[in-house]
Amino acid sequence: MNHEPYDRLAATYAVGALDGQERVDFERHLADGCDVCEATLRDSAETLAALARSRPPMIPPPAVKEELLRRIGTAPARRDASRPRPLVWAVGTIAATVAVAALTGAYVATRYEARLGQMARESAALHARVQREEAALREQLAVYRIAADLLRDPQVQVVTLRGLGPSPEATGRVIWHPANGGYVFVANLPAAPSGKAYALWTIGDAAPQPAGVFQVDASGRGSHRIPPVEGGKPVKVFAVTLEVEVGVPKPEGPTVLASAK
Amino acid sequence: MATIGADLVRQMAAGDRDAFAVFYDRYAPVVFPLILRIVRERADASDVLQEVFWEAWRDAPAYDATRGSPEAWMVTRARTRAIDRIRSTHRRSETFVAPLDEGIAAAPRESAPDALARAADRGTIMTALDRLPDAQREVIELAYYAGLTQTEIAERLKQPLGTVKTRIRLGLERLREVMKASS
Repeated sequence: MNHEPYDRLAATYAVGALDGQERVDFERHLADGCDVCEATLRDSAETLAALARSRPPMIPPPAVKEELLRRIGTAPARRDASRPRPLVWAVGTIAATVAVAALTGAYVATRYEARLGQMARESAALHARVQREEAALREQLAVYRIAADLLRDPQVQVVTLRGLGPSPEATGRVIWHPANGGYVFVANLPAAPSGKAYALWTIGDAAPQPAGVFQVDASGRGSHRIPPVEGGKPVKVFAVTLEVEVGVPKPEGPTVLASAK
Repeated sequence: MATIGADLVRQMAAGDRDAFAVFYDRYAPVVFPLILRIVRERADASDVLQEVFWEAWRDAPAYDATRGSPEAWMVTRARTRAIDRIRSTHRRSETFVAPLDEGIAAAPRESAPDALARAADRGTIMTALDRLPDAQREVIELAYYAGLTQTEIAERLKQPLGTVKTRIRLGLERLREVMKASS
């Protein structure tokens, strides 16, 4: 496959400027695992770090360090006192467990090594799982925060989507800002078959415009960021179809959800 | 250099608060000017700095030295959080586009020693970024420091999106050469 288009996308992504469908596509490309783009992004981050380092250092207000040390000093283990973070606390506990396991291992010598090795592996696996779950929760929380912020904006509309065709029991809502785009939240959709994904479309006066693809979780729920429509053209209908996973330029599969005209 | 930083992060991951204090002294003076340049207000910059280092303490166990230096880890995080801050401040204003000259050049009101430090400071940035052709420097500054997306940059400069992407790519490549040559 020709990699050239991704080189430009990677540079734009590295300076945080990639947006819209290209960003969705590029993140999917990264998630599929691309060593070339990973290397470009790493290299760009090091270049931008070198740029930051090339400036004369500036000592920040001392109060910042004092406050940080106070927070860390009073936080039990790795727990954030101001916000409940049970998972972070668990990560800290696991890290401490691994550290204790290592020390004890050195002390009691080889007799327990095999068992401790297994414990460490189990701890590491648990650690990785907790981190994945934390990342997923943080991502979800970020979406909810943005949605809550959007809802405060008087220009924002909430549009109801109804299940059609193969999934009459499916439901959905779109929170939509005419200029900034929005989010779609769906429920009761069956998981897309392997190789397929749900595609969102915005329909105005012209042909349906692709607005990205998304998946639902095991409970049939999903959410998806909808990029703004080019030129801020009004959207009359939002629709969700079942398509191949990589997305298609125009709807081909069955419509599973749509808003009323 | 990088090894010391990576060791500090490992110690932080194990809960070593002294290591965190050393880590802070080492990297805060590097990321603070970057944050200040983006958010422009010193009080906001202090808030963002605190958030960034708190996250570093929290996420230290997840740091992977094979994926980048601790410095890049911190600079990337600082830039992202600073841009988050200006975007949340300006979210209500749809037409918000950081003014080019202001976004790049305006300094917050600050005391005389700071102003001096920043003046000296700006001189240095200009030498690093100034080695880039104007068209490339401009798109990198708009994206990286003012937080504009490619679409916003294209509208602002009245250039096709493809041109913006090409300039960013060439600019980053040139910057990489400049930074390598000066290190």
